[in-house]
Amino acid sequence: MKKTWKVGVSALMAVLLLAGCGANNGNTNTGTTGEGSASGKTVTLKMFIGLPRFKDQFDKYIDQFVAKQKAEKNIDVKVQLEMPSSDNASQILKTRLASNDAPDIYSIHAINEIPSFYRAGYLEDLSNQPFVDRLLDSVKPAVTIDNKIVALPLETQSWGYLYNKKIFNDLNLKVPTTLSEMKQVVETLQKNNIAPFELAYKEAWIPQLFLPLNVGAQISAGNKDFIERMNKNEGSFTEMKSMFDIIDLVNANGTPKALEAGGDDGAAAFANGKAAMWVQGPWYAETILKANPDIDFGIAPLPIDDNPDHTLINLGASTSLVVSPTSKNKEVALDFLNYMLDDKDSSALFESLKFDPVIKSHTYETYPWVKDAQVYVKENKAYRDPSIPQAVKDEVGKGLQSYFSKQMSQDDVLKALDKAWKDYNKVNKQ
Amino acid sequence: MLKNTRKTLYLFYFVAPALLLYTVFMLIPTIGGMFYSITDWNGLNRNYNFVGFANFIEAIKEDPDFLNSLWFTLKYVVVMVVLQNALALLLAVFIESRTRFKGFFRTVFFMPNMISVIISAFMWTFVFTTVLPQLAEKTMMTFLDQSWIGDPRFSFFSIVIVSLWNGVGYMMIIYLAGLQGVPQSLKEAAVIDGANPFQQFRHITLPMITHAITICFFLTLNGAFKVFEVVFGLTGGGPGRATQVITMNIYEEAFSNNFRYGYASAKSVILFVIVLIITLIQIRITKRNEVEA
Repeated sequence: MKKTWKVGVSALMAVLLLAGCGANNGNTNTGTTGEGSASGKTVTLKMFIGLPRFKDQFDKYIDQFVAKQKAEKNIDVKVQLEMPSSDNASQILKTRLASNDAPDIYSIHAINEIPSFYRAGYLEDLSNQPFVDRLLDSVKPAVTIDNKIVALPLETQSWGYLYNKKIFNDLNLKVPTTLSEMKQVVETLQKNNIAPFELAYKEAWIPQLFLPLNVGAQISAGNKDFIERMNKNEGSFTEMKSMFDIIDLVNANGTPKALEAGGDDGAAAFANGKAAMWVQGPWYAETILKANPDIDFGIAPLPIDDNPDHTLINLGASTSLVVSPTSKNKEVALDFLNYMLDDKDSSALFESLKFDPVIKSHTYETYPWVKDAQVYVKENKAYRDPSIPQAVKDEVGKGLQSYFSKQMSQDDVLKALDKAWKDYNKVNKQ
Repeated sequence: MLKNTRKTLYLFYFVAPALLLYTVFMLIPTIGGMFYSITDWNGLNRNYNFVGFANFIEAIKEDPDFLNSLWFTLKYVVVMVVLQNALALLLAVFIESRTRFKGFFRTVFFMPNMISVIISAFMWTFVFTTVLPQLAEKTMMTFLDQSWIGDPRFSFFSIVIVSLWNGVGYMMIIYLAGLQGVPQSLKEAAVIDGANPFQQFRHITLPMITHAITICFFLTLNGAFKVFEVVFGLTGGGPGRATQVITMNIYEEAFSNNFRYGYASAKSVILFVIVLIITLIQIRITKRNEVEA
């Protein structure tokens, strides 16, 4: 009798242990099954957006959408919004997709992730959605693949390098439009004992920025099919060797101890006038303003050679929303996407998110540096951020660090990039 | 007979929860990793192909980054195993030989071990990048003003210093426990026989603490092969890949470089085999030298 007791208790304990895991599964399952199709009364929509710092804004906007759906189509929409930090978002998402548990709507990186997600069949074709007509023409290419629009761009940015307007004004400097003019600016700055460039190379993604800037500019300067040829193993980075012209100029005229300064150190130094320019994008604006709220800085395109027509601004898109083709509530999901770029309501949302405008009716007041960059975009002095595989971007970051610390030559870096792209092709060939 | 099987059954019930957790979180993922090491799965696609030993061959033959990181890790392992054990033993002997403030010194030297490795790495980043240069400026000791974590010539030593600072305390405690287990009578007998302090240490203390040495060598060896946080926090493997350790190379392959899960799994299996063989040899050798009082 006693013994049966013991057996019973230990069995019970084991069951309890399992139940602990089971409870969780139960919760997520109610989400996937949903409650019938869009024609029914209640619909559960699962969203996965890697922008946790904007939770309040999204919650509010989703509430508006829910009210709108109820009023117009008499559908009760329940939204399960998940906002993981952007560092882990992509890994969590991939685990979900691999285990057939795709959210109805999720966010991916437009330039880096669309090609691989598209090939794996995880993106719904959105070309026929009403929001497509409203998109600015300059934004469309970033979310287009095989002539299909597969994502809704949320976060777009135009960038080149940042410059300290006060230093430039004090020394009567003009924003250089060619490499030679840049050299003169550097000389003047050196004469006045101001470090021309902020160098913060501890984190590999910062020197990495040179690659999209150079490749993008050289593609629009004439090497049109570079990306396509690289994807077919027919190109080589030796064609891009002239990118070291500007890289050498920046490296030779920067702040000391570059390999010890991270992004935040760089932002603080730049904000406090330790250097006049920084090859960096506006995504650091908040950090810079935190370090020095009074700084006046602008964005300008990085010159790559002596032709002023090749000095263009980089126009990229990062966070974008897509719809899963396996979604059971596709109609509601598509409604939500169209509402994200609603002519009437989305202006306020984008303004509160501090994102750049993506549709024609976005006419809110933006930051001065965004306006600077928009001038170039409107004059068509911009190119689309080239679609370079993430693995190649990682490689160039490390390569340029090694180049800076003189462990690799220019040719070593270019060779390593060729290999990284070939490896990428090998892995991603389907 | 029947009683015996029943007893085993009960024992099984008691270990069942732990065994279940171990199976779910350790055994299955390990076997899964070995399985993926012979595929070309990229972590995203639903399907994958079996490629046999191609991943292993590529890692050994065509991946200079992997071999470099392996070489760097081996250097680190040798330096760490020697220095960590020597320092820990030295500290333990020093503390054991004191009559007062034993507890104080024990606490002081053990304290760094209570700080998480990644946090101590960030603390030391501050020391290397801000404190040392300022010290150099104030005291005119200009040799201190180096690019301690940015220059590949110095960053290896910076990594070793931080790892030692963090890890020595733990080994010291194990050695202290070993030292306290050495019977006083043996030491006294040696003194009567006319042994000097060095001879006492060499012929009495050292043989009596070999079990502690076995454990400490095993722990340091294992830990040094699997080092990640210190390097990640200090240099991030940079500049370039100059200080990339093997775990970091695997991480990069699986999570940032094309997401080659299959290939990264193969590298993990290689690391596993290396660590397994080396620790087995180490345990066999040190065990052979263990003596009973």
